[in-house]
Amino acid sequence: MRHVEEVMGTVVSIELADDLPPERLVELVGSTCAWLHEVDARFSTYRDDSEVCRFRRGEIALADCSDDFRHVLDRCADLWRDTGGYFDANGGGALDPSGYVKGWSVEVASRRLADAGSIRHYIGAGGDIRMRGSGPGGRPWRVGVRHPWEADQLAWVLSVTDGAVATSGTYERGAHVWNPLTGKPAEGLRSVTVVGPDLAVADAYATAALAMGESGLAWLAQRIDEGYESAAVTDDGRAFTSPGLPTVD
Amino acid sequence: MRRSTAAAVGTLTGAALILGVRLSVQPATVPVSSAAGGSSAEEPEIDAAGAEKTAEPEATATKKPAGKKTTAPEKNEEEEAGLKSGTYKGKAVQHTYGTVQVTIKISGGKITAADATFPKEGFSGTINPNAVKSLNASTLKKQSADVDAVSGATLTSGAYASSLQAALDKAA
Repeated sequence: MRHVEEVMGTVVSIELADDLPPERLVELVGSTCAWLHEVDARFSTYRDDSEVCRFRRGEIALADCSDDFRHVLDRCADLWRDTGGYFDANGGGALDPSGYVKGWSVEVASRRLADAGSIRHYIGAGGDIRMRGSGPGGRPWRVGVRHPWEADQLAWVLSVTDGAVATSGTYERGAHVWNPLTGKPAEGLRSVTVVGPDLAVADAYATAALAMGESGLAWLAQRIDEGYESAAVTDDGRAFTSPGLPTVD
Repeated sequence: MRRSTAAAVGTLTGAALILGVRLSVQPATVPVSSAAGGSSAEEPEIDAAGAEKTAEPEATATKKPAGKKTTAPEKNEEEEAGLKSGTYKGKAVQHTYGTVQVTIKISGGKITAADATFPKEGFSGTINPNAVKSLNASTLKKQSADVDAVSGATLTSGAYASSLQAALDKAA
């Protein structure tokens, strides 16, 4: 069963490949969407009544925030440290944990689906994907990585069973990917794809490496031992992949 | 003279990899600034120079390296650019932390990949061999294949409509 839901300012695609009764699949998709809307209500920077906005205005203290909110802030702080400051939820001046929330909410959604009996599914939110189990026909999921210049072409095809694929590219937001350490637009890398166990981490790593520019390539190589493989394309069209990237030829 | 070129390139690349010096001119491979770099910080200038040499295959375009070839050349037309296509193993070099051997891959006259190997036995353990890892130069392909999902397709709901992912969702 495939479902498309507009939420969190993006489009979320859900596919359940489980051999379950159709009404059960509908229920699982419904609860997944409900969770994503709950996250949106809590973390949206566009809703005045969201927890993020109320916290920004000083209306609620951190101690009075939800467990999820405090968890997200903790993880953003961890990732800020782990990326040498290149992943910065405060980079725009005000707190904006959106860069972590999208991946984290999908990660949680996938875990909840597994707990509820869906052991073969994928959830893709705005081009960042979490897969569990095998795909249609029992083979691994095949994930295409968008070509960084031609939107209708693929640069790589990956084969993934359990894991996440996140891509950040300057082509998405023009020059609006900032290097938080210099305050200038990031340049050097056109797109970065990170493959690993946790979508929130993969997404944060891809964003951080993109902000680093070409030195992000060496930084990505250091993530291999943590279980995160990568592919990157420079502004002048050179491509780099880590040796363990699960490409399909 | 010819024979030594690939080995020399390999050795210098190895030194650069070991000390974590970044190949800034043409990063065919991107060495990690490993923890070992810190302890060898007094020697960066020498090795940075070595890295420059290895990073400019064009500079040695008139000399074709004929080092110990381990695989057959890939494509004949690529050999015109200077360096002969193929995979070359550098001389095994004894460092204080163990024996290091570097392999480089030449394609289209350029170094497209470099890798350093460390012997499992007799390794002194001063640095972790896994600390020296790199991303390899790869070919940027353009393909349209049958996939289940697309990564990097869109960030906004506005851009989604024209994305490959939208096409996939419609087809399902």
